[in-house]
Amino acid sequence: MEEIKVNDYAVVMKNIVKEFYDVRANDNVNFLVKNGSIHGLLGENGAGKTTLMNVLYGLYHPEEGEIFINGIKQDIHSPTKAISLGIGMVHQHFMLARPFTIVENVMLGRKSRKGILLDTKETAKDLVALAEKYKMKIDPYAKIWQLSVGEQQRVEILTALYQGAEVLILDEPTAVLTPQEVDGLFVTLREMKNDGKSIILITHKLEEIVCIVDEVTVLRDGAMIGNVEVDCNTTKAELTKMMVGRDVLFNFEKSNSAAGEKKLTIKDLKVLNDKNFLALDGFSLDVHAGEIIGLAGVDGNGQKELCEALTGIRTVESGEVKLDTINIENKPPLFSIKKGIAHIPEDRHITGLALGWSLKKNLILKTFKDNSKFGLIDEKKIEDRWEKARVAYQIKANSGDDSARDLSGGNQQKVILARELENNPVILIANQPTRGLDIGATEYVRQKLLDAKGDGAGVLLVSADLEEILQLSDRIAVIYDGKLMGILPGGSDVKKIGELMMGKKLEVEQNAK
Amino acid sequence: MLNKLTKNLNQILLAVGTIILALIVGGVIISFSGNSPLDAYFSMFNGAFGSKQRFMEVLVRMIPLVIMALGTSVAFKANLWNIGGDGQFIMGSIFAVFVTIYSGLPPVIGIPVSILAAMLGGGLWAGLAGWLKVKFNANEVITTLMLNYIAVYFLSFLVYGPMMDPKGSKMPQTEIIPQAFRLPLFESGNRLHMGIFLALIIVIIMIFFWKSTVGFKIGLLGQGEKVTTYAGVSVKKMIVFTMIISGLLAGISGWTEIYGVQYRLLEGITSGYGSMAIVIALMGGLNPIGILISGFFFSALLVGGATMQRMTAIPFSIVDIVQGLIIIFIIARTAVNFKEIKNKIVRRMGHVK
Ligand SMILES: Nc1ncnc2c1ncn2[C@@H]1O[C@H](COP(=O)(O)OP(=O)(O)O)[C@@H](O)[C@H]1O
Ligand SMILES: [Mg+2]
Repeated sequence: MEEIKVNDYAVVMKNIVKEFYDVRANDNVNFLVKNGSIHGLLGENGAGKTTLMNVLYGLYHPEEGEIFINGIKQDIHSPTKAISLGIGMVHQHFMLARPFTIVENVMLGRKSRKGILLDTKETAKDLVALAEKYKMKIDPYAKIWQLSVGEQQRVEILTALYQGAEVLILDEPTAVLTPQEVDGLFVTLREMKNDGKSIILITHKLEEIVCIVDEVTVLRDGAMIGNVEVDCNTTKAELTKMMVGRDVLFNFEKSNSAAGEKKLTIKDLKVLNDKNFLALDGFSLDVHAGEIIGLAGVDGNGQKELCEALTGIRTVESGEVKLDTINIENKPPLFSIKKGIAHIPEDRHITGLALGWSLKKNLILKTFKDNSKFGLIDEKKIEDRWEKARVAYQIKANSGDDSARDLSGGNQQKVILARELENNPVILIANQPTRGLDIGATEYVRQKLLDAKGDGAGVLLVSADLEEILQLSDRIAVIYDGKLMGILPGGSDVKKIGELMMGKKLEVEQNAK
Repeated sequence: MLNKLTKNLNQILLAVGTIILALIVGGVIISFSGNSPLDAYFSMFNGAFGSKQRFMEVLVRMIPLVIMALGTSVAFKANLWNIGGDGQFIMGSIFAVFVTIYSGLPPVIGIPVSILAAMLGGGLWAGLAGWLKVKFNANEVITTLMLNYIAVYFLSFLVYGPMMDPKGSKMPQTEIIPQAFRLPLFESGNRLHMGIFLALIIVIIMIFFWKSTVGFKIGLLGQGEKVTTYAGVSVKKMIVFTMIISGLLAGISGWTEIYGVQYRLLEGITSGYGSMAIVIALMGGLNPIGILISGFFFSALLVGGATMQRMTAIPFSIVDIVQGLIIIFIIARTAVNFKEIKNKIVRRMGHVK
């Protein structure tokens, strides 16, 4: 790596060091992208991928290192500078102005060709042409909030292209897409590559990009571990090992014990979201004891509202939810807690944990009354409780007095698991339980879900991660636009699930009964 | 255990550090005004602790301030910004005096009933703001402030009108409450009354309160409404309940001031205790012992400052300046992350090497 011929590459990042206080997010990273190639940037959550690309895009200033674009050394001090050098970036979280139309979003931050008048029409025409060239379909006058996540992503890509991007960075683009949408994205990317553009694809999931990328750079703990040429035949094992630093099994023993009796019945549920639109529109589903039913779907199709309705956090407009024979819809949250419905919420920072509180107190959030004597919290009891949880769930923390904020995501999720699984729940609702966790923690959480099922709980696993759904589920239900699209047996074909995720209804519902 | 001890010690050191810093910066300002800061501080210290009489006066001031700050801290812990301590103090006082003057109850029953009435008045007044928040999503900062004005004008109306002392010479005040209902004094010729024990008892009760399940729920609310709901605690009920507890303590604070010092209702009885209670609560880190300490400091500052003004040419506004500086430092303390600064320095040093 000593002598890099900077001229052969579209992008050369040399010895990049970027620190956040005590974290070295990038530790002497070398990163090279060949002209006209698709380059994967692989690493676990927190490996420093986004940071590295933010440095390239001028959002962060590295402490050390230099950057060459097309062989010329550049000081990229701002995104504007990056854009002028032909670098475009689509962030993990889109940065679109939601009340505006597509064309208005593209025009934001750009000078009009007509002086003080807006050149909306011309821009719209250009956009449509550009989209067609790269095999995308858009309506330039659609408002952002009306678009699906996949369409929003297209707008982001178009914006970057329109600004003249020759190097396009995509941060975890596949995470929010259905399998079919991923295919569509890849068609576009290939077109761009044929056009001589270079593309950087960030991901923490190798298998999704292995067929499209020419080369992959692996990051781990901020350091560059290696640079590998890959194609469709490259096996996952070795790269995963580079990513994690050890072998990963990911082979769960799925005990195929027959599911027990029906525990939870959801019938014709109608629930509003925060904006008072119907988030669930006549949703029905049963959960049996001793099974994991996976609920697949693109984010934002009513999953969150469903989980909240089932746990009494959100009001139900109509329909019913029954636990055995008891109606639990529109009962206060405490009711479902007492009835043994455990809940791993989607956002562990705002809902699942009291971040500023100690781990000990977080363990008894729902059972503080049982952990008190004469109305006072029983310090000794909760210390014991913490000690047991720490050992049983391998929580890494200095003490139970640490605040939840100071733990890593994986350990935070373990605290939640320890709390929710404490009293052998009847029903466990797990909403995106492994999102944002590293591979080790993901493995652990998934095993715990299987254990809970083994202990007789009915598990409703809500996940946008199809791999997770397929690994764990006995049955797979698909939600789209607040409705159940159908139920497939475990291990069904990904493409078929993907179709349902895009709103195609399962034609013959014979086995529904 | 050790961990907890150092944490508490840190709290106290931080409070003391804030005070010292404020005194130093205040000293610079005093010297700009052409006075000697050392003289000013000396006469201030002397004014607060120079004699038994003055020291007792500090304690007299401390009683309502500490109790009200404890009330304020309850709301603040739940992330409810109750800044209406004054109004709750006034309503508590009005309720209590009303009962004492007009009920004709004998002291044995009358005294406890007057305390209960004070709690009711303060609690209702703050609870009203809580209810408005829950029902109409009205910001409690605005409503508690508005309710302050209403209470102040209501008090004026009463002391100029229906409750004006019939035997008085048209002074805007109520009749004096009988001797038997008052808080006993330590010694005649001194204003220090038995309310000091009440304040200390309430401090101790609050220490246990924060260890109770009720305190747990209030603290949880301060961690966020979502996690509170998730844990099975009703946010709406807790908001109203927390405000009631907060106001009820302000009501008791009013009771001690009326039954221990003033013996009657009159205009301006709060003398701005509400805003001072906020500073004391924040400086004490919302912790009962911390509040006791910072309440003592503030009372000394007030009494000492008043003496200083009498004895020297230095104006009382110095006290206001020091108080203002302390507020600024407290805000700065929470706004600036010290860890960040520390890390920056460490990194700089690492680079030099
Ligand atoms: N703005 C920031 N401030 C402090 N720490 C950060 C910031 N951005 C990232 N980090 C830290 O840097 C490390 C790498 O993060 P990131 O680049 O986002 O990883 P990735 O994109 O690979 O998941 C993590 O430990 C993260 O906590
Ligand atoms: Mg990232």
